[in-house]
Formats: sequence, structure tokens, C-alpha cells
Amino acid sequence: MAPNNNNLAAAPAENTGFPFMKWKWHFISISIVLGILSVTFMIERGLNLGVDFRGGIKLVYKFKEPTGDGRIRGLIEGLNVGDVQVVRFGVETENSFLIKIKQQEGREIVKEIMARLNQTLGPDGFTLLSEEMVGAKVGADLRKRGFFAMGLTWLLMLVYIGWRFDFLFSPGAIVALLHDVIISLGFFVFFGKEFNLPILAAVLTLIGYSVNDTVIIFDRIRENLKKLPASVPLSDLVNRSVNETLSRTVITSLTVLFAMVVLFLFGGGVIHDFAFFMVVGAIVGSYSTIFIASPVYLAFNRLFPHRGLVRGIGKR
Amino acid sequence: MTEYYKWKVIGILAAVAVSLYILVPTLFNLKSVADSEYAAPAGLARYFPKKGINLGLDLRGGLYLEMEVDLNEAVKNRVDVLITEIERILPQKDFPGLALARVAKTSRVRVFLPADKRSLFLDQLRENFGDVLDPVLAPTEINFQIAGGGDLADLLQKVAALLKEQNIPFADVERGGADNVLRIILGQPGTHEPVLQKIKASPLGASPLGTQLTPLPSSDYTVLQMTPEYVQHLHEMTLKQAVEAVRNRIDRYGVAEAGIQLQGEDRIIVEIPGVKNPDRVIDVIRKTGLLEFRLVDDSVESQAVSDHINEAREKNKIPEGYSKEIVDKINEGLKGKIPEDDEILFELTRDPITKEVVNGTPYLVKKRADVTGDMLRTAQVGVSQNEPHVNLSFNKIGAKNFGDITKSNVGKRMAIVLDGVVSSAPVIKEAILGGQAQITLGYGSYQSLLNEAEDLALLLREGALPASLTIATKTLIGPSLGADSIRSGINSMLFACAVIFLFMLGYYKLGGLLANMALILNVLFIFAILALFQASLTLPGIAGIVLTMGMAVDANVIIFERMREEKRLGKTAKSIVESGYEHAMSAIIDGNLTTLIAGIVLYQFGSGPIKGFATTLMIGILTTLTTAVVVTRVVYDYFIYKRRVNRIII
Repeated sequence: MAPNNNNLAAAPAENTGFPFMKWKWHFISISIVLGILSVTFMIERGLNLGVDFRGGIKLVYKFKEPTGDGRIRGLIEGLNVGDVQVVRFGVETENSFLIKIKQQEGREIVKEIMARLNQTLGPDGFTLLSEEMVGAKVGADLRKRGFFAMGLTWLLMLVYIGWRFDFLFSPGAIVALLHDVIISLGFFVFFGKEFNLPILAAVLTLIGYSVNDTVIIFDRIRENLKKLPASVPLSDLVNRSVNETLSRTVITSLTVLFAMVVLFLFGGGVIHDFAFFMVVGAIVGSYSTIFIASPVYLAFNRLFPHRGLVRGIGKR
Repeated sequence: MTEYYKWKVIGILAAVAVSLYILVPTLFNLKSVADSEYAAPAGLARYFPKKGINLGLDLRGGLYLEMEVDLNEAVKNRVDVLITEIERILPQKDFPGLALARVAKTSRVRVFLPADKRSLFLDQLRENFGDVLDPVLAPTEINFQIAGGGDLADLLQKVAALLKEQNIPFADVERGGADNVLRIILGQPGTHEPVLQKIKASPLGASPLGTQLTPLPSSDYTVLQMTPEYVQHLHEMTLKQAVEAVRNRIDRYGVAEAGIQLQGEDRIIVEIPGVKNPDRVIDVIRKTGLLEFRLVDDSVESQAVSDHINEAREKNKIPEGYSKEIVDKINEGLKGKIPEDDEILFELTRDPITKEVVNGTPYLVKKRADVTGDMLRTAQVGVSQNEPHVNLSFNKIGAKNFGDITKSNVGKRMAIVLDGVVSSAPVIKEAILGGQAQITLGYGSYQSLLNEAEDLALLLREGALPASLTIATKTLIGPSLGADSIRSGINSMLFACAVIFLFMLGYYKLGGLLANMALILNVLFIFAILALFQASLTLPGIAGIVLTMGMAVDANVIIFERMREEKRLGKTAKSIVESGYEHAMSAIIDGNLTTLIAGIVLYQFGSGPIKGFATTLMIGILTTLTTAVVVTRVVYDYFIYKRRVNRIII
């Protein structure tokens, strides 16, 4: 720690004072456009459900020689096993591929594929990294539980914020949260990634993270509501709160982003997609915290003016 | 001076010491952490905990299975046993012409006996089987006279489809005794009337053209049904027994450290780390060892049987193969072609090298097994004349039944059926009265026969598993992926740590250094807690730790930003620290609690590796609160109160 007489100190930067609330419609428009795009993608392409949710077989092979997904697809299609999906697993240097196939009654597809690869590449040409088989019934079961979990988390957040803050804060957090999940999933679908259990975990984590981020600003709004004189208009108060917490929002978002980018680059194939989702989620989450949650709070306050934490509106 | 300052310091130091102590096996055995085996230096070893961090399957490599127990099959098998028991216990002379038959797909038994004996029979039944079987008073099935001809199989399907469409609970639609009788077995007793109405209202009941169904009067027999309590009890027992059997098999197969547990209503989860030959393990686990000795019915020519099967395969478009589903479908298609109490089962021929099924020989066997695996006392491998075989010995009931059946069927064949697959069908050479029998195996090398005999004996010894297991999900992680995952997991953890370190140091200077210290302690505590509770560390778990590291500094960021604000107001060091922490608290607690809620939901609904993620996330949140708030505060307090520092660098 600093010695007694040390007086080195960086001059504190003044709050940026950016008029967020004035520009809110610009940002909301951007979000609406992104949201519509995401939903369109999701409807058009559908969520590419992994075998965890749909049932089926997932195989990951690592190949010795660099190879393309076309060649592997060709090899397997020759076996007449129906719809086959072959995608690269992890980063390109890993030279691993993920194969998704539907289960077929009375056939041992995994063995057939193994035999086929053996035939063309030789027993040393490839290694089975992992094999996953999920029955259709279990898949449906997991799907149901997964979406239930998502809904439950969402509901709990709503209740928590309503309880700790004020129910006028809840809609803001919820809109921000939906915004983050929809846009992150939109990105995810756009890049053709698979929605599976780890990604569901990422979605739930993002929900937690997004609310966390939002809550910090709300906390400041709550504090300022008590502290500042009632003559300060609510929009100014919100703007001030966002600015006061801005450096914190940016710094924490950056550290989380760093951690997730590192995970994305070095975490290996298994959590590659998880990290991808969280990188997008961390960016979108911080954005919505600043540009979406607070304006929504403001809007709801105008819609339902009431007493308590809320102060007079439109005293400008 | 803040309250409890001294105690906080002592507490923190103690926590660090305990954590390091717990992590000794992990730290000093980094290489074999992958095997989760502990080989500490001799002598000192006994002073330290034995186990390091428990690595999840995805990091170690291994096999994860979720198996479904077929509870309906257990009920079916138990009904068979009950029939045998009733026949054995009731005085034969009192009930001449008594016949019992299981009703397909239900827990019911049909009892045929003269009307004047009915009340006596029910009395006897209540006395001996009162808590197991109840007489059903309402009609449980409806028979229809078919007029107008047509394809019976087609008609059965049409009626079944009609009932399904109308959401009427029914157990089965079958040929009822004669060719022109169709029988609907009701799913719930008491649904007699609605079903009748539906059929009458449908084209099948009313149309004067084509096929027409006319209800026949209720049949003249009694129906018994297992009591719901007993069915419940049977389910519980079956699951318990299945778990035990799976455990025994895995143990005897020689895999240590396998985790077996029940999940939900009918699932068993098996986790086996680092398994070398997963297919053989699965085979051993899955074969239920449901052993049945059933008479082969030679009354139908084997050529005719094959023809019927080919016909049925073609007509119903049944795919190639001999899995349980396919055999069931074949039998469905054969209804009416073979005697009602018979069914077709196959003996499978495997390619000696690839072990793939190349052919199946059909056998027409009795549906009912007179001797089953639970009547078996022991099964052992024996070798005579250099040929391995399996020796069986039966318990009292088994010996008696086996004696009876072999005595009256000398010269006929007895199929030994394991899991619905005929393993052999030796000719009964003589009445086997002593309760000892021998299964000789087919042809093959000595070693492969010995393996086969060992596997068979292993399965049989468990006694009959009362139901078959189907694999609902299977995950196999190769050892190379596990090792890769550990490496990349640790690398990304270290790298993320380094990036965050530099960033915090650069931005907050000395405060950043403090936050970094807290971060290191945080990671230390997370690992210590994982090791302490032997929670599995999975790859998503490592992701959880990395995420926690990113978020852990958040609490410090909130505090530091607050302190900067206070500092801007020109306050003293003491009040900067005090109000900085004080004002930050509510935001920190609210922020972390929301993430904790997400973590709890994840833990509750996730499985396997996802649970691992939720675990580290939740632990991370708790440790973060301690390290980021308590530890950093203590350091500030030390400098401000003990060293009288009056400038805060932040």
C-alpha cells in the first residue's frame, strides 16, 4: 500500500454526462431493428436444436489429416442414414468435426460410421472424441424442462426486483432481459450454431448477468430518488444515475468480456459455442442495461405515476 | 476501527490455511489429477486429505448412461409368476378345469372356471392373495362379432386408430378367440359404455356395407387385477432391484468408482469414468439377465413359421433386424396365424469377427415361462472336456417346475431365453428332477466361449432383473478429449486471470492490486470448496469459474468507483473507505443475488456438466462476496487505522 506521504493520484475523470435519455429513441430503434431481425432469423431458420433437445446421435471425431466437412459428409451419406449434419467442432486447427444423425431403429449407426471411417482413413486416421446419444423421449423431456427453467428464472427475477425495488422497475429489467436473450439468440442463429444444453445454461447465465447489470443502475436510481430533491425531473435523475454508474458498467462489462473472449479462444471445442454466446451476451447485456432498461423504467413511470419511491413527473 | 477487525483477519488467515490444506492432494499431484488418484509422498501423506478435486466425466473421459427401466414388463412378468403361484396354492381337486391367462398389456388375469365354483375361488383368492389381486367387477373387455369379413389385421388397426383418435383409454385390440371375434381390452375398468357407444356410432358399427361389428354379451369369466398399491410396490421394488443389479454387474465387471443413482420415476443413471471398452460394459449392464425356460412348440412346421414371418414382414413393412420392437411387430403381424399362447422369438447368429448380427433363426415358443431366472439359485462357469459351459441350480419351486416340465416333455426342445432372445434350444434328454442343469454353449474358440460363459453366468447370478433396461441417453467422452479439455480449461483460466489482473492494475493502480489479491483468494476458495464437498469439476464448471473471475472484480469495481466519487468530494481517507463500502453494499448484494437465483434454477434443472457449471457459479458468488468485500476492507482498515495512511490511491 502507498506510503504515508505519497500523494500521487490521477485526477478523477468527471462523469461523462452523456444525455442518454435524450437520445433514447435512437437506441431503442436500433434495438427494435436488431430484435426484429433476430426474430425473423429464428422463425426462418428455426432454433437449430441439438440432440440433447431433439433426440439423436452426436459424434465428434478428430482427424489426423486436415479435412473438410464436405468429404466427411460424403463418406457418411454413402451409408444411407438419412439427414446428416457435419460441422466443424471448435477452432480450425483442432481439425475436429461434429456429426449429427437421427437414430434409426434396429441399426447400429455409430458402428457403421466407425467402420466406414476405418475403411477410408485407416484406424489411425481419426479418434472418436465423444459420442452422445439421446432418446427422443428424453430429448422432449429436457426441452420441456429447459424452457420451464428459462420461464422460472425470468419470473423469479421479476419478483425479486419487484420486492427489492419497486414493481415499476421490473418491466425495465424484463424488457432488457428479453432484449438480450432475443438478440443474442438471433446472433447465434445467424451464425448457424446449435442450441443445446450448454447454450441453455448460457442463456440462464445471461439472464442472471443482464439483470445483475441492470440492478446496479436501478440501485443508483433508487438511491438518487431518496437523495435528490423532488425538483429534479425524473428523466434527469435517471440520466444522472446512468452516467454515475457508467464507468462501473463499462469496466465490469470489459472484464467479463475479456474472460469470455479468452474462453472463446482457448476454452476448446466443448465450450466454444457457450463462450460465443456469452461474448455476444456480455456486449448486448451492457448495451441494454444503459440504453434500454432505464428508458423503459422512465416510460412506465409516466404510464403509472404512483407514490412511494416514485416522484412527481413532468415538473420540468 | 471497524468492528471485529481482529476476528476478520484471523478468519481470513484461517480460511486460507484450511483451503491450502484441503488442496494439498490436488496441488502436489497435478499430473494424476486427471485420474483423480492420489499418490502422496509416503509418511506425510496420512496427515493430509486423501482426495483431490473430483473431476467430472467430461474432463476425465468416460461413459454416462441414462437407462430406462421397463416397469410394464415388470408387471407383466409378475402376473406370470402370480398365475403359477395361484395354480400351485389352490387345491387342484376343488377347481377342476381352472384356467388362468394373462391379459395382454395390462396387470389383469382372466380366470376361466365353472360358475358354481366362482365364490369359492374368490374366497380362496382373498385369503391368499388379498393384498395383491382384486376381482374386477365391471366388464374389462368387449367382444364384437365381425360380419362382412375383410382383413382382420387391418380391422384391428382401424379400431385401435379410432379409439386413439377419440382419446379412449384402451389397452389392446386383439383377435378374440375365434377368427370372427374382435376384442377390445379396456384400459380402465368402467369405460365399457362409452367405448360401446363410440363403436356403435362409428362407421364400423353402423354401416350395413363392408365390415360390421356387433357387440357380444360379456364373457363368462372372472377378471383379476393387481391392486394399485401392489403395482406401486412392484415399481419401487423393481427400480431398487434394477439399481442393485446394475451396481453388482458393474462391480463384478471390475470398474471402480462408478456412480449409480436413480432419477425420476423410471430412470437409472450410471457414470463410469475412464472406461476402455464401453460397448462391452453397456452389454453387461443392459442385458437384464431375464432368463426364461420356455417350451418350443413344434406343432407348426418350421418352414411354415418362416413363411408366416416373411409374409408378416412384407405386409406390415417391418424393417430388417431383431430388436425388441421389431420382434414385437412381427408377433403383432402373426396374430391368428400361430396358436394364441405362442410367440416367435429368434436365436441370433453373429459374425464371429465383427460381432454383428447376421441372421436370426425363429422359434415358436410358449408365451408363458414355467421357469424363470428368479427360481435360479446359482449360475457358475464350469469346464469339462476343455469346453466351457454354465452350470445352473434351481431353488425349490424352480426345481419342481423344471422337473414337472421336463418330465412330461422329454424329446421336445426347451428354449433358454435371455432377454427375449433365444440363446439356445437344447432337446430335453431326460426329466431333470434334481434341480441341476447345464447350458452348453455353441461353437467357438476356447477363449471366446469362456468369455461368453463368464458373461452369461455373471448375468444369471444376479437373479432375474425383473425388467429390461433401455438406454435413454448415452454420452461417451474419449480420454483424449478429456485431457484436451483440462489443458484448455486451465489455460483459459490462467490467461483470463492474467488479462483481468493487468486491466485492474492498470486502471485502479494499488486498488487494482488489492482486487487482484482478492481474486486469487477467490479462486483458491472456489477450488477448496469444490474439493471439500467432492463436487465434480466439469468443463462448463471451469467456464463458470472463468465467468466468476470476470464478474468477481465487479464488486470491487463498484466499491472503487464509489470511493472515487467520494474522493472527488474531497473527503478524508477514512471516510472515503467507509462510505465507499457502505454505499456499494446494496448494489453488490442485489446484483449477486440475481445471479445466484439464475444459478439455483440452473442447478435444479441442469444435468451432469451443467450442474457443474451451476455449482461453480454459485460457489463463486458466495466466495466473491467474501473476498471482494471482507478481505479488501480488512486491508484498507489495516492501512488506515494501524498505519495511519491518509491518502487512498484509486
